[in-house]
Amino acid sequence: MSNVLRPYLAAVRSTLTAALTLDNFASQVVERHNLPEVEAGTSKEVLLNPLTISRNENERVLIEPSVNSIRLSISIKQADEIERILCNKFTRFMMQRAESFIVLRRKPVPGYDISFLITNTHTETMLKHKIVDFIIQFMEEVDKEISEMKLSLNARARIVAESYLTALQG
Amino acid sequence: MPEVFSLSQSPITSHSFNADRSQLAVSLNSNDAQILTRQGNEWVPEVTLSEHDKLITSIDWAPSSNRIVTCSQDRNAYVWQEQPDPETGRLVWKPTLVLLRINRAATYVKWSPREDKFAVASGARAIAICSFDPENNWWVSKLLKKPIRSTVLSVDWHPNNVLLAAGSADMKARVFSAYIKEVDERPSPTVWGSKLPFNTICGEYASPAGGWVHTVGFSPSGDVLAFASHDSSINIVYPGGPAIYNIRMPTLPLVSLTWTAEDTIVAAGHDCRPLVFSGSEAGWQEAGTLDDATSKSAESRSAFGGNSSVGRLKAGAFATFRDADSRGQSGISGQTSASGDTKLHTIHQNTITNVRPYEYSGAGVVSKVSTSGVDGNLVIWDVNAVSALTSRLGAAHLR
Amino acid sequence: MDTAFRKINIDIYDEDVLQDSELYEADPRDPAEVLEDAKQRAGMVRSLLAKNDIPAALTVVLENAPYGPNVDDAKARILVVDIMTLQTLLTILNTTKSADIPGVIKSLSLDTQDTLMKYLYKGMAMPGWGDVSGSVLLGWHEKLTEVAGVGCIVRTMTDRRIV
Repeated sequence: MSNVLRPYLAAVRSTLTAALTLDNFASQVVERHNLPEVEAGTSKEVLLNPLTISRNENERVLIEPSVNSIRLSISIKQADEIERILCNKFTRFMMQRAESFIVLRRKPVPGYDISFLITNTHTETMLKHKIVDFIIQFMEEVDKEISEMKLSLNARARIVAESYLTALQG
Repeated sequence: MPEVFSLSQSPITSHSFNADRSQLAVSLNSNDAQILTRQGNEWVPEVTLSEHDKLITSIDWAPSSNRIVTCSQDRNAYVWQEQPDPETGRLVWKPTLVLLRINRAATYVKWSPREDKFAVASGARAIAICSFDPENNWWVSKLLKKPIRSTVLSVDWHPNNVLLAAGSADMKARVFSAYIKEVDERPSPTVWGSKLPFNTICGEYASPAGGWVHTVGFSPSGDVLAFASHDSSINIVYPGGPAIYNIRMPTLPLVSLTWTAEDTIVAAGHDCRPLVFSGSEAGWQEAGTLDDATSKSAESRSAFGGNSSVGRLKAGAFATFRDADSRGQSGISGQTSASGDTKLHTIHQNTITNVRPYEYSGAGVVSKVSTSGVDGNLVIWDVNAVSALTSRLGAAHLR
Repeated sequence: MDTAFRKINIDIYDEDVLQDSELYEADPRDPAEVLEDAKQRAGMVRSLLAKNDIPAALTVVLENAPYGPNVDDAKARILVVDIMTLQTLLTILNTTKSADIPGVIKSLSLDTQDTLMKYLYKGMAMPGWGDVSGSVLLGWHEKLTEVAGVGCIVRTMTDRRIV
């Protein structure tokens, strides 16, 4: 498993490192403002080409770089209905607490499950390679977390069914 | 060995020394600029220059006239001059307003070689060339506008005090004439042209793979122009012979450069270490780095792509929290391993945003350069201590 | 009261604003010519692959690769060329043994390495299409990053001559 995952995470790591080359850049459209250009989208020349890294159809990462911010969106593997529900609940839980995660975006980009917005203030106050580590670690953990939840959900369902049916039997 | 001064925890947006290098003006990612005085091996804050009400983006200290110019995202620039206070008679720094006439952030400021003009780059798609108006006792500006299409990120003066190079986010490096009748004598012809009224465009260059031009610089003679852009390359332009040398690097983009001699450039940026480029009209190449990262760290880490890149996340802070979560451990055990991978191999721990000449050993020959960066460190490097690049990858980022 | 006017983006009418078309120099070649060229290359690649000369085959595909977003009138034809070039490239990538990849990449010129990186990302952006296999592209991506560095990825981001 982790052997297949490794080149995928390595590609995300190198692309993210390349994208995290941010500067402090004041808006050239709105006076005296300084906003993440990737969200504002008002000046085309300060946006760079968005890059996609994909492992297969369902697992992909979109990195949209700009001069002072990048947006990273992850599409998480969802093999069946239960995984879809779990993934939805899990990302919802995270995004409702977005300010505790600092780089998390409150809403995902359409077509993806969860998005991060990293700005130049983040790369100034935090170690750049640690932000990269955090994202990579998140990607590693999220799959594991969801499959673990799925297992415990199934186990719980079995126990519930068993005790319910034993009651009927008796 | 390079001298390292840790000035703050916050980023240093800009730094500039005075003439004898005993004082230093810095802006620590805030609305104020500070003047620090050197006491032995320490830089002690002495004066705070506060007039701006938004982030200061650039500072330049004119060595002979001893004037400091600061510019900020609040669209203003101030010229600071040491004057005796009318009441106490002590010398204090007094600001003079500059009428910039720009309506977006000022991004970069630089005194001309003769210190009678300065150029302010801005997000208003213009460069303000400022000169002093003694009648009104303020600085007035003339705008270079055409054909700039985006934020100007940096400027550099030609030694003849007239020509100005500018790098901007529209992916072009340009050479302009900033000739002001009231101030300048008629310039003698250069390789860039002979008739030079204000706003003449003497050259327009771009890097093959595009990218914002972060930094520009004229060589000491003024006959060669270097610029570095966001496509991780540095370009050296010879206007006479139509040659542009483009050096692509395997590392992250450079954001600042300075010429140390007619055949050498020191440049630094997101890769956290200063690189040295050398060459002549016949060709240019990367000569090495000033930051000998490998000799300092005895333990060698596996290069990027090694199997460790995923597994090592289990260490450090993560393990601490996991133990706290799953086993209820208080997490003291995890602290020891956490410090290991938070420090980079390079001296600067984050992007270098400024490279400036520090010490001259002859006309146009720089023997030491100073760098400052987002990590709050100021480092003075000996330009001649070049060591070869050991790996093609930046030692800093992908371990 | 009609409030739609409040939502009009007036900034796009600023004459100084850069347009998409001004960000790069358009491919000067005629679409038909490019298509013809792409067909010819596909043939050359096949014969080179038969000889097992992978570096030469890659160079043929990647040199002077067509670029630029699709202009409306020529869109369909350009798309054909794009897909054809990508397909030819993927055939090469798929047939290369993984042990040979580093050697092949090292033999390429810097320009070709940059273009290869663009195509790898393009391939990854359209999964489930044709015989694009994520793991093959990721394998190449990893090896290419080892040789050409992150600078190569940075250039993929900055270069507006999108393949």
